Amino acid sequence: MEFVQNLPFISILVSLFAGPVCLLLKGKKAKYVNLFVIISVGIMQLFVLLHALKLKEAYTYSMGHYPAPWGNEIRIGILEASMALFFTIILLLSMLAGIREREKDIDSEKQNLYYVMTNLLLCSLMALVYTNDIFNAYVFVEINTIAACGLIMIREKGRTILAATRYMIMNLLGSGLFLLGICFLYDLTGHLLMSNIKEQVAILNVTGEYHMPLLVAIVLLAVGLAIKSALYPFHSWVPDAYGYSTVSSAAILSSLVSKGYIFLLIKIFYRVVGFDIIASSKVIDVLFVFGVAGMLMGSINAIKEKDIRRMIAFSSVAQIGYIYMGFGLGTVAGMVASVYRIVFHAATKSLLFVAASGLIDASGNDKHITSLKGAGYRNKTAGVAFTVGALSMIGFPLLSGFISKILFAGAAWETDTKMMVTLVALAISTILNAMYFMRTVITIYTPMKTPEVKEKGYAKIKFSEETLKNITLIGFIVLNVLLGVCSEPVVDLIEKGLAMFG
Amino acid sequence: MEYVIVLPILISVLIGVLLLISSFVSHTREKSKAFISDNFKYTGVVSLITLFVCVAITLYVAWFGPDDIVLFSLVDDIPIHFHIDDLGRLFVTVTSIVWLMVCVYAIKYMKHEGEERRFYGCYLIVYGVLVALDFAGNLITFYLLYELMTITSVVMVLHKGTKEAIMAGLKYLFYSMAGAYCALFGMFVVYQHCHHLNFTAGANLNEVLASENREIMLVAVFFMLLGFGTKGGMLPFHAWLPTAHPVAPSPASAVLSAIIVKSGVLGVIRTVYYVVGPDFIRGSWVQYAWIGFALTTIFMGSMLAYREKVFKKRLAYSTVSQVSYIFFGLALLDPVAMTGSLVHVVGHALIKCSLFLSAGLFAFKTGKTHVDDFIGIGKTMKVTLMAYTLGALGLIGIPPTVGFISKWYFASGALKADLNVVSILGIVVLLISALLTAGYLLPITIRGFFPGKDVQIEEKEEKLDSMSGVIFIMAILALLIGILPNPIIDFAREIVATLF
Amino acid sequence: MSSYFMLIAVLLPIVGGCLIPLLPLNKRSWLAIYTEFIVITTSVLVFLIIVNRPDSGFVVFDLTKELSITLKLDETGSVFATLVAFLWPFATLYAVEYMRHETHEKTFFGFYTMTYGVTLGIAMAGNIVTLYLFYEMLTIVTLPLVMHTLTKEAIKASRTYIYYSLGGAAFAFIGMVYILKYGSTADFVAGGVLDMAKIGNGTDLMLLVYVICFCGFSVKAAMFPFSAWLPKAGVAPTPVTALLHAVAVVKAGAFAIIRVTNFSFGTEALKGTWAQNFLMVLVIFTIVYGCSRGLKEPHFKRRLAWSTVSNLSYILFGVITMSPMGLLGAFAHMICHAFMKITAFFCAGSVIYKTGRNYVYELDGFGRKMPKTFFAFTISGLALMGVPGLCGFVSKWDLAKGAVTNNTVLSFVGVAALLVSSLLTAIYMLSVVVRAYFPGKDFDYSTISDVKDPNWMMTLPLIIFVVVMFVIGLNPSLLMSQLSEVVDTVF
Repeated sequence: MEFVQNLPFISILVSLFAGPVCLLLKGKKAKYVNLFVIISVGIMQLFVLLHALKLKEAYTYSMGHYPAPWGNEIRIGILEASMALFFTIILLLSMLAGIREREKDIDSEKQNLYYVMTNLLLCSLMALVYTNDIFNAYVFVEINTIAACGLIMIREKGRTILAATRYMIMNLLGSGLFLLGICFLYDLTGHLLMSNIKEQVAILNVTGEYHMPLLVAIVLLAVGLAIKSALYPFHSWVPDAYGYSTVSSAAILSSLVSKGYIFLLIKIFYRVVGFDIIASSKVIDVLFVFGVAGMLMGSINAIKEKDIRRMIAFSSVAQIGYIYMGFGLGTVAGMVASVYRIVFHAATKSLLFVAASGLIDASGNDKHITSLKGAGYRNKTAGVAFTVGALSMIGFPLLSGFISKILFAGAAWETDTKMMVTLVALAISTILNAMYFMRTVITIYTPMKTPEVKEKGYAKIKFSEETLKNITLIGFIVLNVLLGVCSEPVVDLIEKGLAMFG
Repeated sequence: MEYVIVLPILISVLIGVLLLISSFVSHTREKSKAFISDNFKYTGVVSLITLFVCVAITLYVAWFGPDDIVLFSLVDDIPIHFHIDDLGRLFVTVTSIVWLMVCVYAIKYMKHEGEERRFYGCYLIVYGVLVALDFAGNLITFYLLYELMTITSVVMVLHKGTKEAIMAGLKYLFYSMAGAYCALFGMFVVYQHCHHLNFTAGANLNEVLASENREIMLVAVFFMLLGFGTKGGMLPFHAWLPTAHPVAPSPASAVLSAIIVKSGVLGVIRTVYYVVGPDFIRGSWVQYAWIGFALTTIFMGSMLAYREKVFKKRLAYSTVSQVSYIFFGLALLDPVAMTGSLVHVVGHALIKCSLFLSAGLFAFKTGKTHVDDFIGIGKTMKVTLMAYTLGALGLIGIPPTVGFISKWYFASGALKADLNVVSILGIVVLLISALLTAGYLLPITIRGFFPGKDVQIEEKEEKLDSMSGVIFIMAILALLIGILPNPIIDFAREIVATLF
Repeated sequence: MSSYFMLIAVLLPIVGGCLIPLLPLNKRSWLAIYTEFIVITTSVLVFLIIVNRPDSGFVVFDLTKELSITLKLDETGSVFATLVAFLWPFATLYAVEYMRHETHEKTFFGFYTMTYGVTLGIAMAGNIVTLYLFYEMLTIVTLPLVMHTLTKEAIKASRTYIYYSLGGAAFAFIGMVYILKYGSTADFVAGGVLDMAKIGNGTDLMLLVYVICFCGFSVKAAMFPFSAWLPKAGVAPTPVTALLHAVAVVKAGAFAIIRVTNFSFGTEALKGTWAQNFLMVLVIFTIVYGCSRGLKEPHFKRRLAWSTVSNLSYILFGVITMSPMGLLGAFAHMICHAFMKITAFFCAGSVIYKTGRNYVYELDGFGRKMPKTFFAFTISGLALMGVPGLCGFVSKWDLAKGAVTNNTVLSFVGVAALLVSSLLTAIYMLSVVVRAYFPGKDFDYSTISDVKDPNWMMTLPLIIFVVVMFVIGLNPSLLMSQLSEVVDTVF
């Protein structure tokens, strides 16, 4: 066994232990430790990905060298590795972008706690991505939830406590259902390792035994994770949680935490139940309906929203809807589209959150859209970044959103009944997206009269004042353009990875 | 030198444009040189001379010159094509005579209307366009000039610049446009079913194609009739005529009523007899509808004229009615009736011109425009009223005037065409209308000469001047045609003979 | 000529426009010279490319395996490119003078120049993805131009504009994906690329997608019921309304429809279907609808905008007849309408520039005071009506002929609609003309004594356009022979 194969395990371990370490350190040092961990984990993922690509097949890594079914396994394939790498990059950019806000929003004594949570979050994300053990997955889901809750709560301002409580309640409900689902599966199959469960499920499917309980188990798993990833109509916690937490939290929560759950769901589809069984069951139809409803309702809610952060949060609900709609198509192409959407959304939504925070800074910390008038002139980088993000969201060619739309539409043609619905939903959703994103873009480029600006004390923000944030913004923009222009390798990775899943 | 055909057209249009421009410039510049200021006395004379030259060349070209010229192509390799045939000669001669005479009249008349240069500019341009229209050798050329005629002649309607004139001008413009577009619709369709669009005596229909799409072709022809009929004031697009003709200065109303409405007639003749062919619509619903419209218009026009008290409006309604006589004659699709139509074209042009000019002269000398005010007018304007009476008699159709001849031909044509009830009905309408015509034209003479005892008007000798002279000449010309109708009838017969 | 030059032609104005805010063009005249230089250079380049048309396409880069951004200039694209390249320098000249009174000139000229490149991109797009790319870009780069005055009205209009345009593109997108999925190639091939074997018996679906796609692209071409944005967008400065909302943007919509109809779906598959009839009804309705709205509209520029709505549907009508003659008419009208409408808009702009008057009823007596402007306006009005001898008649004739050769009831209705619309055009254009020349007997000219024609930069384009209208009108074979060669390559 090559050394590189240990890296996924090491990365989980490193980030797990970095958490307690940060607890002991002072804020500033904790920050550096955290950054170091994220970067090193990222580098490790890069090596893992390269290795996985070289290997051309997935391998399992048993912890403690106990073979299945007793041991605890992680499984490394192209998709896992690339997702892990991608998540780390987004995490890094989000953390870098929010430094100033964090230092302002959070008590200086509690700074280190934030990094504890971030490290734990990274750990749980890595684990969710790599794990091959469904119970293990549950454990890390819980860690993930608690860490995320901490990220929301730590701002201790305004409605964050309320938001955290809501988040907690909904997520625990989701976790509970998820756990119940695992229990059912364990009952039916007697296994907790994914590969083993899959074999048993396949046998059950052939014999036709326990059809109902199996279906219930799948539904429980799917609904549990759907609640946790804020599928419409389980999204009530989203706007508050994303809207009031500190900016890096919002970016992380929307682009990583919910995506971790979704990735887990994909894993369950492929690795636990088997894609063919899922594709032929009614579960995906339900997901499809909720997905489409989410796409439209999320956007409609966003249009009504007057607070820019909450608006972007509602947009996330719509994006989650896209992803579930892709699942609901029940084809491999649909899955590819959904996974690409995860990537796209992670890149774009963080960009939007960070850019929005830049705009808010330039408007006296007022999040109301009307007070953002002319913010695009006061903070130029943030303005441009927001515009790019908005264009990507509405599927402007050369940006990642366009490729995502093409993938969805292409996938839709392969189905019969869902085709027209998908296409029209895509079109309408694009229009709705345009309605709130472009409206905001127009607003931020409508100059405010100079006396009014002076009266409100809005300051111009130069590039040098916010170098780090601006650089990360540029990083996000580049990422977005890269995903849009050179989507080929990414889609290729996803396709190969999904094939490896089966 | 076939280009000589274009010469009169070009000269008159060019001089006209120059006049228009100079009129325009004199308004835009604060100070202007004497010869372009509006006070320049000899505008009328200059125009008259130009016109005279043009008329001379035109008539020479029409009767003795080359008869065919193909210019550049406008669309689809359909060229601007001038071809002079007998029908064109007839129309162009009438046009030229009337235009020249009215110009003589206008020299004095327009002095007090103002904006002389603009008037004469348009007057000359319209003349050029009309000559070209009469020479037109295919439908496209015809249509081009037809539209140009509308656009240029509208300025004459607008001349007074009052609110009423502007509204009337717009009405004229939009009705004419509507008509032109109706005709254009027909042209689009007809074009597809013809060998070519050149005017060919008889027809040049691609009969196989046309009979395949007979219904749509009939609709197309119907639209063309309606469209060209608009200019002639035929129902249902007649409403512009009584509004537009009277508000123009009298010389303009005279030519509008006498000549320009006839271009609609020319359009109809060209369509029915030179492109589609009378046989195509004979017995179809189009023919009956056309006759129906024509007869209704005849009756209604006379009736409205009878009830109308403003003199020029009354004459305009009379035009509506009289032009539809011509349409009736054409709609019968009969050689005899058509001969009547052609004679009536000439007769009506001369007579209506003299009537309008006398109306203008009444207004010019006495300021009276209302019929009821004309009581005793014969005492002061004996010459004019006599000329008027001559014309009126011709229009009513009392033998031996030209009106009688044309009506005779209409009636015998109607009987010959053998359309049962329609023929009889037609003759009845003609008679009623003739009575009405007498009813609305003659009282002016009667009450003008015999105002009754209780009206005291000082008698005044009216000298025969250039204005009343013109009226007289016209009326006498019309009378002469009535007395010696043979040359013109023979000529009309010749034309008709080629068509059937 | 090497196919690289196409990329240069597209990029030069885009990059040049981007640079404007960055360059130290502090003096107004420098800005003007710089902009005009970029524009003219591009135009010259475009003409050179058209004359020595490169046969091969130029792949800029590959978006995915199947999708590439490709520039390729074929005959059809040349028509649009020539038109745009001819008009842009003149419009820029006009804009230089017009924008004297406005603020944010650098932004304005920046985006104005970029729009040129993007429009050329549409003309030179070699496949449907490239077309879609530039189509979307066009929306984005023209957005700041609509917003330019930054008044409440302008902001509202720009919102409407962006919702409509992006929404349209979202639906056109469906058609694009269909072509990618069911076509043998994404490239534009005369006669269409649909692979009938793949479609099988899904023709109804294909037609439905075509209708959706057509409607999507027709948003830019302002077809009913997607036309409301165009009159609203009239708040933009006149050079924008004139060049973009009468020519570049709206014709890009029509051009995209030509591409989709003749080069992607192919007329073979569409002719005589319910899709054709349905769209024809919409188009015919728009022809009349636009004119009637124009008739009611007292605002000068909005009236012209409604007229544009109607006239664009002439082009669409020509396309949707799906006959060579109809397409010829569509091309002809594309060019003729460009000249007619840009002239009319420039006249309206001159009035606004000189007097700030926006409404038709304020134009009494202007004919005397602004002779050149109103002479041009009269000619453009007559041309729009379709008076023979001017260019409007030429295109109308071909459109009608194309429809008549189709020989269906609907196409005859279409011809009738064309003529009804001509009549309405006559009413709304000539009522302005008559008002300007005949203000009424009692009109006091001293109230407008300070009204004058603008200077040569604004009148020169007008005069040239008027000359062009006459040249095309009197000698259409110049244009039509070229266009019919183009049409021959399409069918």
